[in-house]
Amino acid sequence: MHLDFTDDQRAILDALDSLAKPFESAPIHDAPLAATSAELNSAIVEGGFLDVAQDPDLGTTTAAIVIERLARLPFAVEAGASAMFRPLLSDPSSQPVCLVDERHLARPVRFLGEGATIIVVGDSVRKFGAEAGVVHSEPEALFAYPMAMLSGVPDDAEKLNIPVGEAKVRWQVAIAAEIAGLLAAALKSTCEHTTDRNQFGRPLATFQALRHRLAEAQVRTNGVYWLAMKAASTLDPADAAMAALHAQESAKNCVYDFHQFLGAMGMTLEHPLHLWTYRLKALIGELGGRGAQAQCVADKLWPAR
Amino acid sequence: MDFKWTDEEQAFRERLLAFLEKTLPDDWERFSQHGPASPELTRYAEEFCGKLADEKLLTPHWAKEIGGEGLDPWHQTILAEVMWIAGEPRGGQYMNVNWIGPTLMKYGSALQQEQYLPEIVEGKALWCQGFSEPGSGSDLASLRTRAELVGEEYVVNGQKIWTSYAGLAGTCFLLCRTSDDRKRGITILLIPMDTPGITVRQIPSLIGEGDIHEVFFDDVRVPASARLGDEGQAWEIIGYSLTNERLGIPRYSLARAALDRAVSILEDAGDFDDPGVRIEAGHAAALCEASRMASYAIVSKRAQGEKIGAEASSARFATIMAERRVAEFVSEYLPEALCDAHPYLKMHHQRGIVAGIAAGAAEIQLNIIASDVLGLPREPR
Ligand SMILES: Cc1cc2nc3c(=O)[nH]c(=O)nc-3n(C[C@H](O)[C@H](O)[C@H](O)COP(=O)(O)OP(=O)(O)OC[C@H]3O[C@@H](n4cnc5c(N)ncnc54)[C@H](O)[C@@H]3O)c2cc1C
Repeated sequence: MHLDFTDDQRAILDALDSLAKPFESAPIHDAPLAATSAELNSAIVEGGFLDVAQDPDLGTTTAAIVIERLARLPFAVEAGASAMFRPLLSDPSSQPVCLVDERHLARPVRFLGEGATIIVVGDSVRKFGAEAGVVHSEPEALFAYPMAMLSGVPDDAEKLNIPVGEAKVRWQVAIAAEIAGLLAAALKSTCEHTTDRNQFGRPLATFQALRHRLAEAQVRTNGVYWLAMKAASTLDPADAAMAALHAQESAKNCVYDFHQFLGAMGMTLEHPLHLWTYRLKALIGELGGRGAQAQCVADKLWPAR
Repeated sequence: MDFKWTDEEQAFRERLLAFLEKTLPDDWERFSQHGPASPELTRYAEEFCGKLADEKLLTPHWAKEIGGEGLDPWHQTILAEVMWIAGEPRGGQYMNVNWIGPTLMKYGSALQQEQYLPEIVEGKALWCQGFSEPGSGSDLASLRTRAELVGEEYVVNGQKIWTSYAGLAGTCFLLCRTSDDRKRGITILLIPMDTPGITVRQIPSLIGEGDIHEVFFDDVRVPASARLGDEGQAWEIIGYSLTNERLGIPRYSLARAALDRAVSILEDAGDFDDPGVRIEAGHAAALCEASRMASYAIVSKRAQGEKIGAEASSARFATIMAERRVAEFVSEYLPEALCDAHPYLKMHHQRGIVAGIAAGAAEIQLNIIASDVLGLPREPR
């Protein structure tokens, strides 16, 4: 076992970091809550960062590394579904790729818009291109992803030759890797604020009530990162379920605290914290949320005898 | 990143498991409830460690020139996991091979090395660690046990507490004060436990019999040659000792094994269909895995020769979270395990309960993470 990056992974991360550099500071914006950038998006697509998993030497571990790193940016970029699913699709499908849980069709879908590639995971895995008629955009949504509702799945959606179990595993890995990056960025932002802001004559970050909860958030963020990387590497169903569970559980534990520690500043759109936390809020419920993930862990680790 | 064990690492684990299979007595699971510091387990550990030594499995991670096999930190981790999952049949001797031996090799005099190392390598020594005092727990540097140099001898007066293994240990690795300088006034003495003036009182505990003690030092006289390193060098020396020990015991391994056992018992009884139980088991498993991976990330750095710092506290806190969730799962859904129905689970519960206290309390780990991993400004003192 060795857990450091390979030279190739390091090179990809360096390239990604230099491409992302101009996008590291948060844009000043009001509604909608999400910050997006067509320029950043096309640079990432054209740079091939979402296709790294097609190279067997890089594989889905490198895809997860890319997803995690991009999630740290204040801009929401559709990377998770693309990086994990595009290698499985025979024809080059257009980004964004949107994952839809057939059991919960009434729920909002991240990045859904006309022309998006939609993958529906239910009793089978199906794909179709989103046309204007089935997409109802939600510009006022309280999430920092662009969100839309899907009004139906066309009967002629193409059935993909992907086992449902594998689709779920890849989705869980994408969730976990994205949450890892979002938690890391939100934690960093919260640490910066509590270090700079003084009350009672000292930085907020010197008060142990905050320090301990921030430290626990670090422990969780680190755990989510490693579970995501391991699951991306093994694509084992139990690993993936544990990664998604720990990610959603940790997101739930941390989001409230991060806002709390910013006081009223955390309620504004002028501070970027929401650009990460209001993405976390969307991911907490994906694929059925923590309860479903925990049951999935139980199913996979201890299959009925 | 490669999350697979190499064939060689896998073979090492299997070799250890085969050794346990052929060596441990049939009633071992019940026997191991005696606790790592009990007289029963201590006696057994001597026999067990002797056999481990014969197979070159007692100190395989020590460098070759000092009697080890020179195996890397991954092997040390595998060894620690296999032993801890099995209920630590090495008893208190795990401390010898993990840090006391290596510390003696680095800082001990020729005489001390000659006196102590052979017994450690043969699996015959038992040490205790005299650090904590009634007034000095987390704030260890405030310790007050005094050692005064009178002629060629140190005269020691004071009290230690929570000292594991003290009842049966041959030697104490003692921290004592030789001057008033908070950290640089602390000195290490290696004191035979049968020296006149030492009184040991066992403290009944939740962990099992014989585990923790009070140790009183009343005009205990030892030759100056019992000092390890220089006067005032203790803080530096234990800093070095900890580099081998920062991660502590791989508690996640036994926690996960206990969880698997609990689930299997629940399944047999038809009690594992309840979604509430399944969800709770899922959470406990995820925490065990997060703890394991946080630890492995550190082992990986060590294997690359990198220095390990505060991130070890993060892995330790992850372990505390896992231990707690598993112990709570068992108490809630298999309370009979805390009686006598399932010795393995009871053994886990007894040992797991101390995860957030022994070897550095949970809140102290959080303090370290806040300052040294997150880089937050320190609390005012
Ligand atoms: C099973 C067992 C075996 C042990 N074996 C040994 C041994 O062999 N040798 C030895 O020397 N010691 C041993 N110890 C002692 C152990 O090292 C101490 O218990 C530990 O360091 C904590 O000290 P304390 O118990 O005095 O707790 P305290 O320091 O009194 O702490 C009590 C609580 O207060 C919290 N606290 C303390 N300071 C702070 C702070 N600054 N900020 C926030 N919270 C704080 C702690 O985190 C803890 O929750 C053992 C303990 C146990 C339980």
